Amino acid sequence: MDKFLQFTVLGLSQAAIFAIAASGLVVTYSTSGIFNFAHGAFGMMAAFTYWQVHVAWDVPTWPAFFLVVFIIAPLFGAFIERVIMRGIEDAPEVVKIVVTVSLMVALLFLAIAIWPQDVAHPVGALVEGGQLEIAGVILPNQRLMIIGVAIAVAIGLWLLLKATRLGVAMRAVVDDRSLLQLNGGRPARTAMMSWAIGAGLAAISGVLLAAEQPPSAITLTFLVVNAYAAAVVGRLRSLPGAFLGAVILGLAVSYTAAYLPSDASIGSFSLSGLPRAVPAIMLFIVIVAQPEARLRAHTTIRTRVVGVPTQRTAAIGALVLVLGTAAIGSMIAGPDLPLVSKALWFGLITVSLVPLTGYAGQVSLAQLTFTGIGALAMAEWGANGSPFAVMLSIGLCALVGAVVALPALRLTGIYLALATASFAIFCTWMVFSQSSLLVGGTVSVPPLSIFGWTADTQFKQLMVTAVAFAIIANILVLLRRSAWGRRLTAMRDSPVACATLGLNLTSTKVGVFALSAAIAGSAGAIAGRSFVSDDFGLTPSLQVTMLAVVGGVGSIGGALLGGLLLGMFPIGSSVFAANAIGVFRFVTVPVTKVITIMPGFMGIGMGRNPDGAASDIARSYRSLIESVPASVVTAIAFAILWISARLEYISNWDFFAGVLVILLAVMPLIGSILPPPGVQVAGRRLAAGLWLVFALLITAVLPWETLVESNGFRILLMLVWAGVVASIAVGVHGAVDLEALGLGTDTAAEIESPDLMGFGTEITRADAQLAARAIGLDGELDRPDTGSTAVTHARSGVEVGST
Amino acid sequence: MTDAPAAVEPLLELRDITASYGTIEVLHGVDLVVPPGSVVALLGPNGAGKTTTLSVAAGLLAPTSGGVYMAGRDVSGVKPDELARKRVVTIPEGKGIFPNLTVKENLLMASYTGVSVDHIERVAFERFPRLGERSSQVAGTLSGGEQQMLAMARGLAVEPAILLLDELSMGLAPLIVEELYGIVSHIAKSGTSILVVEQFARAVLGVADTAAVMVNGRIRAVGKPSEIENDLSAAYLGA
Repeated sequence: MDKFLQFTVLGLSQAAIFAIAASGLVVTYSTSGIFNFAHGAFGMMAAFTYWQVHVAWDVPTWPAFFLVVFIIAPLFGAFIERVIMRGIEDAPEVVKIVVTVSLMVALLFLAIAIWPQDVAHPVGALVEGGQLEIAGVILPNQRLMIIGVAIAVAIGLWLLLKATRLGVAMRAVVDDRSLLQLNGGRPARTAMMSWAIGAGLAAISGVLLAAEQPPSAITLTFLVVNAYAAAVVGRLRSLPGAFLGAVILGLAVSYTAAYLPSDASIGSFSLSGLPRAVPAIMLFIVIVAQPEARLRAHTTIRTRVVGVPTQRTAAIGALVLVLGTAAIGSMIAGPDLPLVSKALWFGLITVSLVPLTGYAGQVSLAQLTFTGIGALAMAEWGANGSPFAVMLSIGLCALVGAVVALPALRLTGIYLALATASFAIFCTWMVFSQSSLLVGGTVSVPPLSIFGWTADTQFKQLMVTAVAFAIIANILVLLRRSAWGRRLTAMRDSPVACATLGLNLTSTKVGVFALSAAIAGSAGAIAGRSFVSDDFGLTPSLQVTMLAVVGGVGSIGGALLGGLLLGMFPIGSSVFAANAIGVFRFVTVPVTKVITIMPGFMGIGMGRNPDGAASDIARSYRSLIESVPASVVTAIAFAILWISARLEYISNWDFFAGVLVILLAVMPLIGSILPPPGVQVAGRRLAAGLWLVFALLITAVLPWETLVESNGFRILLMLVWAGVVASIAVGVHGAVDLEALGLGTDTAAEIESPDLMGFGTEITRADAQLAARAIGLDGELDRPDTGSTAVTHARSGVEVGST
Repeated sequence: MTDAPAAVEPLLELRDITASYGTIEVLHGVDLVVPPGSVVALLGPNGAGKTTTLSVAAGLLAPTSGGVYMAGRDVSGVKPDELARKRVVTIPEGKGIFPNLTVKENLLMASYTGVSVDHIERVAFERFPRLGERSSQVAGTLSGGEQQMLAMARGLAVEPAILLLDELSMGLAPLIVEELYGIVSHIAKSGTSILVVEQFARAVLGVADTAAVMVNGRIRAVGKPSEIENDLSAAYLGA
């Protein structure tokens, strides 16, 4: 009984911290409509800032606490709202999720860069270590204080939201932003206040957690993430709901820790990770128990239309990728090869999001979990590397993907993202921590072996990855061009219209989830190397989703770009290992740390360009692609460069510099120098062309290696050089269309997503049949007219919300 | 605002307004004058640009050319919250209330205009006793008529200089519409200038001093309600 009471008190004090964190989340979400994934990271940053102020700068406990919680954190929250969140309020859900996830990753690595993980940062208790004893139950002062703070927060928030005009206005914003403005309220200022309050609450929970145990950036971030489950109990909007959720969560965690034997298991399946998986399990259950999201009409999605490549283009692209990989791979020396291989391998995982996010508009934050399942299955079943085992592993991933999707089906946007995140956390503690599956925490995936040919060298492994990518890319293009592919896009554009056309949303969603999981799983099955359990955690999954969207998840090329970027960071770290950037005289940040922070900031930059980087790059190179002479000359230039390097006329660094100049200066401009036959282009084309040839020759003969000692600055110099070459070429030419290169103002017309279903216009029977045929429903509508309108009833059983 | 120099100076004037949504121009040169203390009805079929005209006047949409003048001052491009604090009250179509706030909280939101909450509540509950009975009920659970009363209470209590009303009659029973227009007339008598947008209701013609008929983004006719009957029929029949 004593034990029960003791753990109840412990659970309640945990609940108090969860409640504070969850209420902060509710305040920001319910007033700005943005679910702040970085909430946990806010709390973590606050805890470390508290350490900095209190321990490093010797400010006494309570002044330091007030400084962090009431001044620094709110200012930080307001700053984030003003600089980042205000720009994405009307952005699609995917962008909101990716931007806040990026913020979380950026803050996480920023904290690690500032406060190194190998040094402990204990902040000490907030109150002296006394205790109360009531009826044999020991109540430490620290715990009582935490519970007291939570009660104060609850009362304070209640008063704010119910009894002050600011608080009522914060709720009014959610109801009708423009009406509040018409009343004379200022929604922008209100949103800023709510982010400030949210950040302050995150800070309280972060500091309280840090007072319990020395903070570590990752642990602390994810401890606060646990509070998300509590917030979901209140449907992200109700504060009492969030507090109730926190109590349930705190007690569940506490009792599991108390009463689950440490050696509990089901067969050989160990349950030792269960206490830590409890919040994830609760999050998943609560989300799945959510009432169905209502389908809403009239959600116009403004997107730049991403062109769908023809099957022929896709096949040629695949061939170029495989040959290009072979060419580059054959030139790169041994130790760098695995890094290149890994970059392309990440491309395989990011491309798994193309059908799910790019085509169907759903978000998954668990792609590397599926990769991990694929890897484990392959290690278990395919010791000889047989392709049959690969297929089996992929099949398993598809099955798991479908099973995860099934209960999560009715969810959209943020809830789906949270459900997948909870699945990732669950697998981290329950699957990837199984010592029977990962011996010593590592799993080794056997190399692929087909008819006696085994991918036993690094180069062969690289080629396996390239071929796998080529095959998957072609399958995706095939699917995208099929009726099923059009159905996915239609579902993204207007779920209501799809439902009224009689399209079965359920099977379409399950299917695309399974497909996405299968692709991610295939990356694990063919990896041919060993992994540690951390490789499959939530953080790397977040990075995958983030960079896929940064690259441009709507197209295969964009997703590949995202994967390559992700793979580039380790390459960058190895190249720049010895370099450091001096910010001020006394602060030197190693380049490797800057590189770990970069992906997060790239994701945050997404808010400015929701279509991803690839579409901009594609625009720059369009003139090249359209002109046959230009592409032939570019290809010849590449070929000469490569042959010269192979024959060792020029060094590998010269080759690298030459490639950079071609990519950054020649390719964007050559369309203006060698236009397609019949097209008139003004400007001094011959002079500009001669300059480029001359510049390329100089690039190839410059002794780059001896010019600069450090690798990092050499690459930096090359980039600057390529920029100089390009600027001079533009100047000499005198009539380059900068806007077409994406450098001038953006004049490309934004196209409203096509009115596929005839929403807003009168729909005739012929229109309906046309639209239905486009998504593969022709058979059902071509039946002879029975007198009734063909498309009026929703068969999939979804509730169609009123407009 | 109320210190307009002479009675001839219109309190609200739109001069040659053009406005667009994205690249699509919906108002092609709208001129409209609302003299002090008068009710102007803006009528016309669906899609004529009536609500857009009102949005421009309320500051929700910046005109691409032309100007909005209030008491002779150019207010084009002034934010809606600034206008609201200068007692320009706008009640948008069918959603003049915050559905998840209580009746009292809705009225609290009207206090940004500088009028005290006590005064707003007293005026509102005096004129609409039913709102007083339901003061702590969530506004979204009120009936359609009660919701519109709550919206109107704001217009009444703030004593606006200019009142902009969009589709007051939308979805309401004729009796309630009549009652609401009685209040409009009452507000006008206290000196407020009122611009009312309506699609169908003839009820508005009973209280309007002037009516304007709008078709395809242009004002087709302006005159006394009795004078524009023919234009009105033509506008709906598409002639």
